[in-house]
Amino acid sequence: MATAPKEFRFGNFVASIVWLVFWIIIIVTLVVLPLIFVILFYVPLPYAGDEVLTPYLFFSMMVDPTRTVPIIDFLIHTDLFRAAIFPGFAYAAFIAAATIYIERKFLAKMQLRTGPFYAGRFEGILQLIADGLKLISKEVIIPSGADKPLFWATPIIFVATAAAATALIPVAPGWVASDLDVGILAIFAILGFFPLLALLFSWASNSKYPFIGGLRALHQLIAFEIPFILSALPIVLLSGSLNLSEMVESQYLFWFFAVAPISAFVFYISSLAELERVPFDLPEAESEIVAGWLTETSGMIYGLIQLGTYVKLYVLAALFVVLFLGGWMGPQIFPQELIPNYTGEKIYNATVVNGIFWFTLKTFGMIMLILLPRGINPRIRIDILLHTGWYKLIVLAFINIFIVLTLIYGGIITPGGLQ
Amino acid sequence: MMSSNISKNSENDPKINQSSQKNNHNQTNLKDLEPKNSDNFIDRSLNLENSIYSEISSKFTNKVKLKYSKSKRIKIYVEPEDIVEVAEFLKANIGFDHAESVCGTDYPDDNSIEVIYHLNSYSREDLSPIIFALSTKTSRNNSRLPSLIRVFNSVEYHERETFEMLGVYFEGHPRNERFLLPEDWADIPPLRKDFQIKGR
Amino acid sequence: MSKEYDREFETKFQETTRLGLEVVKESEEDRLMTLSVGPQHPGSGHFRFTIKVDGDYIVYCDPDPGYVHRGEEKMSEYRNFIQNIPHLERPVIHDSTNITYSYSLAVEELLGIEVPRRGQFIRAIASELNRQVYTLYWLAIYGIFLGHSTMFMWPAGDRELFIDLLTALSGARVTHAYNIPGGVRNDAPNGFKEKCLQYVKYFEKRLVEYEDIFYNNPLFRQRTENVGILTKEDAINLGVTGSVLRASGIPYDIRKVEPYDVYDEIDFKVQYMKTCDSFARAYVPFLDMRESCNIIKQLLDKMPDSGEVRLKLQSNPKGQPGESYKRVESGRGALGYYIVSDGSPKPYRVKISVGSFRNILALPHLLIGSKLGDMPSIYWALNYWPVEADR
Repeated sequence: MATAPKEFRFGNFVASIVWLVFWIIIIVTLVVLPLIFVILFYVPLPYAGDEVLTPYLFFSMMVDPTRTVPIIDFLIHTDLFRAAIFPGFAYAAFIAAATIYIERKFLAKMQLRTGPFYAGRFEGILQLIADGLKLISKEVIIPSGADKPLFWATPIIFVATAAAATALIPVAPGWVASDLDVGILAIFAILGFFPLLALLFSWASNSKYPFIGGLRALHQLIAFEIPFILSALPIVLLSGSLNLSEMVESQYLFWFFAVAPISAFVFYISSLAELERVPFDLPEAESEIVAGWLTETSGMIYGLIQLGTYVKLYVLAALFVVLFLGGWMGPQIFPQELIPNYTGEKIYNATVVNGIFWFTLKTFGMIMLILLPRGINPRIRIDILLHTGWYKLIVLAFINIFIVLTLIYGGIITPGGLQ
Repeated sequence: MMSSNISKNSENDPKINQSSQKNNHNQTNLKDLEPKNSDNFIDRSLNLENSIYSEISSKFTNKVKLKYSKSKRIKIYVEPEDIVEVAEFLKANIGFDHAESVCGTDYPDDNSIEVIYHLNSYSREDLSPIIFALSTKTSRNNSRLPSLIRVFNSVEYHERETFEMLGVYFEGHPRNERFLLPEDWADIPPLRKDFQIKGR
Repeated sequence: MSKEYDREFETKFQETTRLGLEVVKESEEDRLMTLSVGPQHPGSGHFRFTIKVDGDYIVYCDPDPGYVHRGEEKMSEYRNFIQNIPHLERPVIHDSTNITYSYSLAVEELLGIEVPRRGQFIRAIASELNRQVYTLYWLAIYGIFLGHSTMFMWPAGDRELFIDLLTALSGARVTHAYNIPGGVRNDAPNGFKEKCLQYVKYFEKRLVEYEDIFYNNPLFRQRTENVGILTKEDAINLGVTGSVLRASGIPYDIRKVEPYDVYDEIDFKVQYMKTCDSFARAYVPFLDMRESCNIIKQLLDKMPDSGEVRLKLQSNPKGQPGESYKRVESGRGALGYYIVSDGSPKPYRVKISVGSFRNILALPHLLIGSKLGDMPSIYWALNYWPVEADR
């Protein structure tokens, strides 16, 4: 606790604040505002609803909140908002943060502990913020002989790659940052980057344990990428499309989990391997190779990689929901009008909100399922892992493909629903 | 390393063979944990100790000296040049198959270091409570003893520890090297009596 | 370093390099990667061993203990028999009652005294409780070594039960200094018997859960079964002890083989297995814990309700010149003390023969030729406590 100086006078304190405010007003009026208007003179202003979004209009929302509706409506339909904030990165990062908290509490309850408890009033809810602050304030140690540009760049590319994958996930009807026609292929292509990044980082850190970890990550990718993609193939056959939104829409009658449960199982196991989660956390096996490819990470480099990992977890859980659990489909539980006789439908759309609700709920259920093995399983060995990937999962994935093909050729199911 | 050498020895021994066959006979699954009738291998009488000593002394009449024989403990003394022979006899004919510890004691007054092998048996059940102390002596100035590693594999680290703690060089031991002490240890062996702890 | 040894290592190295002998000689060293499973590695504790891996196979292993060498044996020569107790329990504080137990037995033989009957019972109870504490701690580390975090937390939490009981007995959490020559330091408090029974009953229920989540887990089985086979002959040759020996099919337990104090009045079975693999070495301590619960119940049942627990000794007890070798069954196997006395109040020489130091001889034997992924399961199943081995 800071102590007051000896010559402290309250009057002096107030005077210093007044002095500060005075200077801020002077600088804002004389420098900042003219600068803004000079810039705005050259920049074409966007349309917000019917009006041109001038600074006067922007400031007017402070006075009249109802006038902000078209502005918000305009903002949330820009591509930048979609990629950066709502169905995109910020939403994924929020879910990732929630996942870390849930994982710690969930695991703690399984192990008869309390988990985070003291940061924040309620059950240590602010623990993650405290951890984040600690990571930011820590020194980043770079091992001697490391490839410095790669060492710095890889964590950032890691997060960027994870963020790129989130842009392809449809959260609600029409709410997807990038609605590609080859969405599922694009997601698999992006996910294929991660082991490469692990190898790159382990090479850049110039150390033995990371190198072994990186090689293990690569082995794991090759063993599990094929069953991973094969397990999504029945869904492509059933929906007749590679577009993720269309896959969801074709599940309006029943979830594809009902006809492709084996594929769902293979997808689940493969996504555990892709995520390097517990039975398959060989690239980070603590007791064998220290921390695997994360051995030389420290400070915010570690923080970035953790963020990327949990965003990736969200992506895979969301992908499972999209492919097998009907995406945003669910009973309509939200009313059509939030406030009676108010036509603010541009912001509140009952279908969209309902879709977001169901999607998020299912995704969290999936995340819990992915977190569960950590509490009950030990780590697997690399030869068992490769054997599982190459011998068992590929066969299982093919079995479900044949089942689905039989159903389609037998005329029981047509792409897009029952006969 | 020396396992081939030793397994040959144990094949010659009918007692070891019998008992190991008996134990290997019922190879069972994990859940089968029925214990043996354990009353057989508790022998409280001193007759066993005396019979062991008489067996040894009949073979090596003048070479071994009995130090003491009390309940479950026997100690004999042999000269360094005979120790390998006696140890081989103990292993092959009596059934002491491993060393629990190898221990050296420094006697500056006699200018000697006594090295004791505490032998015990896993393969003969009646011998398992008995600790057979096989002791020998070497001088402090030129401490050299033949190693028993060809007879008992289990003395490998114990002899290495005795080498660094008391400076007894074991001839035939593959690694008379530092083991527990720091890598830059440059003093006399610490368990000799002339090594003083600071402040004492 | 003799050349003979080099040659022997080389032949073994070639036998165990699964890639065969036609490998070009020059590239062999290049292909190997030397890993230091050193004192800062999470998978070793205060212990270092250097391994060389060829791909995923370990082809060389050289243990290098001594990072926590304290010179207990030398220190013992400077203190009298009673003063030695608090520092002799330092090597293994999680099993501190057992490591002072055999010391007390050896000193009692030298001094020619006998412990009162109630004292013997309380000693045995404390020793059993402390063995549970050690085994639970060992099991917790084994769980985290294999990446099973629940198996780390559960035993580490249940260990508190026995720590509670031992705190009630001795007043200290881990370093009890409870066994002293002549008996135990103080009597058990009122209500100890009931509390102990209650805790043991609860713990027996928990043991069933341990078996379900850990020992019956298929992934745990896959990782430990048929891994690190230590045959019966090798176990005898290498002179291993404790659970490692019993997992190789030899029912050898000092409590049964050479009963000390009141153990000859107790009816219990020596737990052993014949599969000789890492799973057996992991499972035998668990069976021991279950049997130990039995022993504690019997001890509590047979313990006299009142009486002396400690023989009063004079302040600087002296014995006749002579020597004594006594051993007890600790959490890691036979724990023996060899004490030479020259008739003065201080021991002339104290040698601690610990189970860990004997078991570590099996580490290179088992690691060479196995996979890197098996390293934690083999190493920690050897029931090795680095601090105890270094003394």
